[in-house]
Amino acid sequence: MALGRRQRRSAFRGAQYVLLLVIVVVFAFLANWGQIGRAFFDLDVAAQQFPDVITVALKNTIIFTALGFALGLGLGLVLALMRLSSVGPYRWFARGYIEFFRGLPALLIFLAVGVGVPIAFPDTHLPRNVSIMVALGIVSSAYMAETIRAGIQAVPRGQVEAARSLGMSPTRAMITIVIPQAFRIVLPPLANELIMLTKDSSLAFLLGTTPAQQELAQFSRQALLEAKGLTPIVVAGLCYLVITIPLSILQQRLEKKYGAGVSGGGAT
Amino acid sequence: MARGPQLKALALIPALALAAAALTACGGDGGGTAAGGVQLIASGKLTTCTHLPYQPFQVKQGDKIVGFDVDLVDLVAKKLGVQQNIVDIAFENIESGEAMNSGQCDLAAAGMTITDKRKQKFDFSEPYFEATQALLVKAGSPIKDFSNVAGKKIGVQSATTGADYAKENAKGAEIVTFDDLALEEQAVKNGTVDAGVNDNGVLYDFVKTNPDTAVVKEFKTNEFYGIGVKQGNSALVTAINDTLKAAVSDGTYASIYQKWFGKAPTWLPGNPTQ
Repeated sequence: MALGRRQRRSAFRGAQYVLLLVIVVVFAFLANWGQIGRAFFDLDVAAQQFPDVITVALKNTIIFTALGFALGLGLGLVLALMRLSSVGPYRWFARGYIEFFRGLPALLIFLAVGVGVPIAFPDTHLPRNVSIMVALGIVSSAYMAETIRAGIQAVPRGQVEAARSLGMSPTRAMITIVIPQAFRIVLPPLANELIMLTKDSSLAFLLGTTPAQQELAQFSRQALLEAKGLTPIVVAGLCYLVITIPLSILQQRLEKKYGAGVSGGGAT
Repeated sequence: MARGPQLKALALIPALALAAAALTACGGDGGGTAAGGVQLIASGKLTTCTHLPYQPFQVKQGDKIVGFDVDLVDLVAKKLGVQQNIVDIAFENIESGEAMNSGQCDLAAAGMTITDKRKQKFDFSEPYFEATQALLVKAGSPIKDFSNVAGKKIGVQSATTGADYAKENAKGAEIVTFDDLALEEQAVKNGTVDAGVNDNGVLYDFVKTNPDTAVVKEFKTNEFYGIGVKQGNSALVTAINDTLKAAVSDGTYASIYQKWFGKAPTWLPGNPTQ
């Protein structure tokens, strides 16, 4: 018997709901809830994580991310301008840098900066925070350069023409007219990059840590040694979300306010 | 047929796949039973968890993992009539017992010292190796022991007994934790830290190939390595212990020891541990 299109659609939707319900029920029955509770949500273990998880681990995660983001933003802006420059070598350098560092895992960049520098330049020991800043800065600058470039190109040409007709030099037009508008356009993707970077900061463990230098991921892994079960990881995960969820809400607000923005870097 | 439903039917495929995964995830490979009633997580395989690199106990050579631990566990696998399959995971997962207790592997052989703290989380075989802690420095360093380390940086490996030992005994030093042995050794070699503490076996092995570093002191800490097994898996513990006993009496243990450390063992499994 032939169903009408609408009937077909509603039957189909019904089937999806039933399937979803089956999946939920199957999980609910097959999971060993007592075991899961002990493994992931042991309140005594969770209580032991405080206050250090906030005063040391969360603080370090924020510091590392902020340092890396600041450097990445500065480098990214310079690279974006180089990409758009009329001078050939600038363009080639920026192009090469962006392609190179966008294509490497952050882990390798951390090893190159943290472990490689003392080997390549004997007796050169960057302070640890500087190493982290440089590594995260390199990681994020390659992405942000592309994002900012797309933002600059998205500023209507008329803006530049108007500025020039008022007698501004190209440089001044770029700095006072184009970049501020471009920046507004790229705010949402930059917030996205900040979320990415927050997670990448967990790679700081590769450089060796004293207890006071541990960030969230490393802190929770160390806490696993004392605890039975995986509760420390859950606590650390919640701390990450404390940073990243407000950022994504901010990003959505910005998108509403300024339109969808542009994303040259793309998400990883 | 209209295009809409067809596309929607395609969208159902992932959902169905998810449901299938949910149904099978908890079943999975039911594992198998080997000789002596030992339950294994994967049939025909003895799955070993370790944390690489830990030369000469566990180290990657070409596409294979070899070492003192590997040779010993191979004897256990032979006894059970299965093949050994080695998985490299973070040492914290082994040390917390998570890897064995959650069924990621049958046993953990990772140059791991038997401690009371670890015994509360999982079971150990009889001791199979006597270890001491050793101090690694750059050749010509003024550091000879823990007497003049105040204000110096001492590298340790995360979750190891050496880390605990350094924290307790290196008075006034700044303890820097590295995630694996190689990172710690490199940090000593390139001067990021002033010294490193780890087990004697692995550090002597490193000094052999890096003459610009030296082991200047051994601390007798009365430590012994054991093989970690899921809590309550006594059949497997028995199998390992029987294998060790047989290997000592027929000389296999001594020859494996000779092969990896270039000297005869001064202590044998079964000897007193005091």
